[in-house]
Amino acid sequence: MRETIIELRNVYVNFFIQKYGINSLKKYFLSLGKQKLFEQKQVLKGINLDIYKGEKFGIVGINGAGKTTLLRVLAGIIRPDRGQIKVYGRVAPLLGLGVGLELELSGRENIGLCGTLMGLSKSDIRYLTREIIEFSELGEAIDMEVKRYSSGMLARLGFAVTTAVLESEKAEILIIDEALSVGDAGFKKKCKERMDKICQSGATIILVSHTEGEMREICDRIGCMENGTISRIGNTDEIFDYYSDRF
Amino acid sequence: MRHSRILSNFLQRYSYTINVLLALAWKDIKIRYKKSLLGFFWSLLSPLIFLTIFILVFKKAFPELENYPLFVLTGIIYWNFFSTTTAQILISVTASARLLKSIAIPSIVYPAATALASAFNFIMSLIPFALLFVLLGGKFTYHLLFIFPVTVLFALFILGLSLVLTSLNVYFSDVGILWNSILPALLYFTPIAYPSSLIPPEYAGIVQLNPLYHYAIAIREVLYWNRIPSLELWLKISAIALFSFFLGYNVFRKLERYFISSI
Repeated sequence: MRETIIELRNVYVNFFIQKYGINSLKKYFLSLGKQKLFEQKQVLKGINLDIYKGEKFGIVGINGAGKTTLLRVLAGIIRPDRGQIKVYGRVAPLLGLGVGLELELSGRENIGLCGTLMGLSKSDIRYLTREIIEFSELGEAIDMEVKRYSSGMLARLGFAVTTAVLESEKAEILIIDEALSVGDAGFKKKCKERMDKICQSGATIILVSHTEGEMREICDRIGCMENGTISRIGNTDEIFDYYSDRF
Repeated sequence: MRHSRILSNFLQRYSYTINVLLALAWKDIKIRYKKSLLGFFWSLLSPLIFLTIFILVFKKAFPELENYPLFVLTGIIYWNFFSTTTAQILISVTASARLLKSIAIPSIVYPAATALASAFNFIMSLIPFALLFVLLGGKFTYHLLFIFPVTVLFALFILGLSLVLTSLNVYFSDVGILWNSILPALLYFTPIAYPSSLIPPEYAGIVQLNPLYHYAIAIREVLYWNRIPSLELWLKISAIALFSFFLGYNVFRKLERYFISSI
């Protein structure tokens, strides 16, 4: 019997969207209060989902289908307006490359800052710093301000920090938005090896990606999102047949 | 089994939030002092310019004030605290848009971290200001101790007001611009560069609607007149501080719900 690690029951999320692009007081007063300021938009409409322990679950769907909002609900960043969510395990923060990187600080200082944001303890960070520097191949540039990095260096630092956190942390649930793969061919290979290692670690992974190859390789099961609902859940082949037929 | 897990999750979450708060505050401070101490001295430039101009222009204007330079200094220190802190906290949430969408911590951590960094900067700015205080003939008496509770109440007032401005600024991007154009007017509306005795009695009612008025009076009582503020004044500034803080906190908690979709 498979153990459920995430349980969503009838989850609704509403957004308040600024109507007609009124996002300043000036525009509001110029419209003399005639226009309604905000409108409510339902972004998730009754999501029911069970994710099992150790599973690699993928989510596909066109832009605006609600994938990122669903991930944010799973990560605890957005609380549902209606419905229930139960998570039996520690969720790592929603990971995107370079989130939390501060341009004015050095690479080393950024490792400390991002590590804390990702939920690592001081001793974890101290332990990981050398490994991150080595992996990112930044050498002495690690003590340089990040704003002086090339975009490639920045991406490598971002990847090294983010995934070191994934590797070290005993988080049971990892949520990954979009592919984590950067740099030149050589570095891409290293990225892939690290992702494979993370995938084999037994953690539950929830992945959103637009790359079919990556999804086929990683995921056991995929949910297809359409217009705020999960229209279909199935194994990888089944969903990609369905998905490519429809869109 | 699951109960102990819920408890440990809660403790983890709590310590995580505190760690993030401190890391963000520390980051703010580090960035400010990054360009050696020069960054710090630049931040003192604006109050010093105001101080110099006021002293040059108004020195002879208020004969009832024995030591006008000291009088202005004591006002400018706190005006500087007020104007920089509100302006910095105001952008704290919008400036952290990406983080806000990526990590699960209460949004109030962002203004709180900026507030901590601002408090640190204020304390640092007291070192040169204390020097000026002595140079301009300020007296160190036991009355100065009363500046601590006044400062705490003033900080609470600033925090509450800033929380309102911060949460509005998420939905209306021009709140910051508006606030920065109100600030200079507020400086002249508050008895910073002139004594409150100069205000015509028929306008006293309007002028006292300005919460800053009461803090300015209390600060002057302690730092310039070497007096303990009256009980009435204590009650006023305490009530304003508590009201502002509770209002700010509740407005923020109410409006934070849709921060993510508006940022």
